[in-house]
Amino acid sequence: MTTIVLPYMLDFYPLQDEDNTRVHQFYASLREGKLTTTKCKNCGGLFWPPRVACPGCNSDQFEWVELPDEGELYAFTAMLLGAPLGMEKDVPFVLGMVLLDGTEFKVLSRIGNTKYEDCGIGMRVKLETYELEDGRVWFRFVPVD
Amino acid sequence: MSLKNVAIVACGLAPFGVRKATWRELVQEASKSLFDDVQNLDKKDIDSLFVGAAMPERFAFQSHVAPLVAEQVGIVPHKVVTRTELACSSGQSAVRTAWASIVTGLSDIALCMGVEKMNMPNMLETQTSMACVLEREWDGVQGASAPPFFAMCAQRHMHKYGTTVEQMAMVSEKNHHFSTTNPYAQFQKEIPAEKVLGSPMIAPPLRLFDCSGITDGAAAVILTSEERAKEFTDTPTYIIGSGQCSMASNLANYKSLSTWHPLKIAAKEAYRSAKIGPMDLDFAELHDCFTISEIIEYEDAGFCEKGEGGKFIEEGQSNIGGKMPINTRGGLLGTGHPLGATGIGQIVEVMQQFRSTVPKERLVDGAEMAMTHNLSGAANVHSILVFGRSPT
Repeated sequence: MTTIVLPYMLDFYPLQDEDNTRVHQFYASLREGKLTTTKCKNCGGLFWPPRVACPGCNSDQFEWVELPDEGELYAFTAMLLGAPLGMEKDVPFVLGMVLLDGTEFKVLSRIGNTKYEDCGIGMRVKLETYELEDGRVWFRFVPVD
Repeated sequence: MSLKNVAIVACGLAPFGVRKATWRELVQEASKSLFDDVQNLDKKDIDSLFVGAAMPERFAFQSHVAPLVAEQVGIVPHKVVTRTELACSSGQSAVRTAWASIVTGLSDIALCMGVEKMNMPNMLETQTSMACVLEREWDGVQGASAPPFFAMCAQRHMHKYGTTVEQMAMVSEKNHHFSTTNPYAQFQKEIPAEKVLGSPMIAPPLRLFDCSGITDGAAAVILTSEERAKEFTDTPTYIIGSGQCSMASNLANYKSLSTWHPLKIAAKEAYRSAKIGPMDLDFAELHDCFTISEIIEYEDAGFCEKGEGGKFIEEGQSNIGGKMPINTRGGLLGTGHPLGATGIGQIVEVMQQFRSTVPKERLVDGAEMAMTHNLSGAANVHSILVFGRSPT
């Protein structure tokens, strides 16, 4: 029996180190608890998710900027049946689109520390980062206390 | 260059459902059905093949499917041979691409085969594969797949327009009723609205019967120019318009969940190119992957005012005898949704309606014009074809 060493290519989480992605800085910042993205130095375009070439002006010069770590729930639901492989143990979990303060980005995320029944449109949520079992890093949002 | 009018001259189906058959066997079944439907056609004259298949790599561990299909159906395409992939719209994409190829004169006779084999021994594999229809690295990774996305569309539509779960259940009831008239459909039983509302919750507010099935199936058509159509059938169906639009991929960049802007753009172009208004159509096949989808589509395809989709189903306007009969073959909810086959399955219904060969209880008598619509992924791409019994 062959053992597959993680991370393998068909799991859900992105490969995060500099050998595999040019936006590895995003994950390094996430490890420090910060949600960041790229801003085009030429036209000022701010994009989610991070980019290496600007779809607006065709520049490839970017700076990293920090996004707000709070926002409000624009929409939400819960996964009760049919979760993908590796996520069955998490069911039920809440999913929501978080409208980040001062932006137009409605970032899809798990909403932790809460139940579907306790959520509402407009509910305030804040960023929380965590480490995956294999050492990679990821994020979710949780209700503001 | 003079552009050609294009006709569909034959259609075929493999029964949709949880099939005890492989991917390639479904192709053969649809092929047999297709060639049983056409007269005077020498297979040697089919010069092009377009295969609509969303995920054969995941569901059947098979890539490079176009030559496989060519061999299964017994043709040697020598002008164009390719596969079209656009998730849930892969089938319509095959027909759109074949249409474009005939319009320009590159292809003379084209075969389109839409197919998907989705039921696997371990359904977890299917569920997992479906998550990569969304943007996997940023959205799929969160554990999202189609039901949670459309659940949030439903929530926003309910929040903004007062649409109710009862109205959504009526869509399911209607389409399951139509599918009882369709022996090729996955679901053969009436599902009254109360049963929809009592079915297990999948992703609130969506319950089991708000969702289309996991389905195996295949569907096929043959296209040629108007000039040649009469050689093969007395009742060709003409493609008279089309529209398509893609807007955003990552959910963060969506303008709205309750208004599908790319559908509005695709519909506007489809009606413009066909030189008609939406209410000139006699019926439509809309992509009801979930009950809420059909309600939003009534509105954004222009069959009712924005926000009144719930009222449209409640008043029976999408039933036969209403303003715009929708999904007479049973829709995706009743017929099932084998991704690559769905778009072509809808076209088969249009053709059979025009020929008046569907059972009487779902016949739209005297229909002259119809459209088929597919959305794909998280409703970020919308594709429409408009059909007529006459070429203009």
